[in-house]
Amino acid sequence: MKENIISTDHLIIIVTATIVGTMARALTIKEDFRQYPTYPNGYLIHLVTGFVAASLGAVAIPALMTKNFVAVTFLALAIQQFRDVRKAEKESLKDLENTESAYRGDAYIDGIAKTFEARNYFALIVSFTTALTIQLVDSKFISINVMSGTITGLIVLYVIKRFSKGKVLGDIADVKEGKIEVRESELFVDGIFVSNLLGTENAANMFQKEGLAVVIIPREEHFRIALDHYGQRQAALFEATRAVGVKRYHFTRKEYEKGKIVITLVPIIKDVNKLIEAVKKTPVLESVKKSHSVMDTNLFGRE
Amino acid sequence: MGRESSERPTYTILAIITLKKERILGGSQLALWAENEEQQKAMTQDIAKAMKADVVKMKNGDYLIIRV
Repeated sequence: MKENIISTDHLIIIVTATIVGTMARALTIKEDFRQYPTYPNGYLIHLVTGFVAASLGAVAIPALMTKNFVAVTFLALAIQQFRDVRKAEKESLKDLENTESAYRGDAYIDGIAKTFEARNYFALIVSFTTALTIQLVDSKFISINVMSGTITGLIVLYVIKRFSKGKVLGDIADVKEGKIEVRESELFVDGIFVSNLLGTENAANMFQKEGLAVVIIPREEHFRIALDHYGQRQAALFEATRAVGVKRYHFTRKEYEKGKIVITLVPIIKDVNKLIEAVKKTPVLESVKKSHSVMDTNLFGRE
Repeated sequence: MGRESSERPTYTILAIITLKKERILGGSQLALWAENEEQQKAMTQDIAKAMKADVVKMKNGDYLIIRV
């Protein structure tokens, strides 16, 4: 009977790795300015899926050590599970689209969903490396095993967190306050035409008195490609509306000559610094990003 | 711009309020004729408020009521 019970060594590996892996997921649940996910159910869902991911990573080494090679195929199951996490996140955010002040847009939703999937891989990789370290150290002192596994796990977490960290709009562009001007029923920001939807006097007065605008100016010519992307602008507009609220109207417009992007709205909280900060911290979407230096090289391409 | 126009939001023209009868040529939207500018503004505002829609004042003086 006792032969069928898991050994203490393996139990230590599994428990330590699962705890460190779950901790990795907990540390990557951000409560940042984007306020997502701050609701308790969101936390719970992601912690539990993180725990499952960590458990899968933790049992891989003991499975290998007991020559249970087939059992390692459950890592494929893990990947399927993470894909489901991405899918669920995507569906959930898409369902919310009609209830938000501005659309997140498909590109932004895709980016968020991918991030959630990737963070489950964090838990899996961290727990796997923790378990591997404990197995390799294999000291007779349990505390040394646990400590070395935990430290390695945290180092790995730091490295992959840095690796997966994306850029924000503030890294590629300057964001400054724009001057709102309403000429008859047309709205201009810093002389750039934005909209002619201010057909009534009420609308024109409201925008003139209460409107806020920011102008995003690309720092380099090639950054225009990212900024011109509709999904990227939609993401910035979404973050802007999330930060200061929307009383009425929100627009984005691109200017073709210098590639400036205008974001303007009538906010609930009239705080231009908050608006600028929100736009600056909007992530540069993965689907939009491209490496400029790679585009310049001719290593593998034709002359 | 071509791609952008195919993205959401989609716009629907709900009504056109004009001062010239001959500009009412048909279409799916509501087309109304106002006798003077005062009446035109009032009609536009009433419909826009009721439909929670936006208003465009065209250069020819007509008003379009648009829902985003």
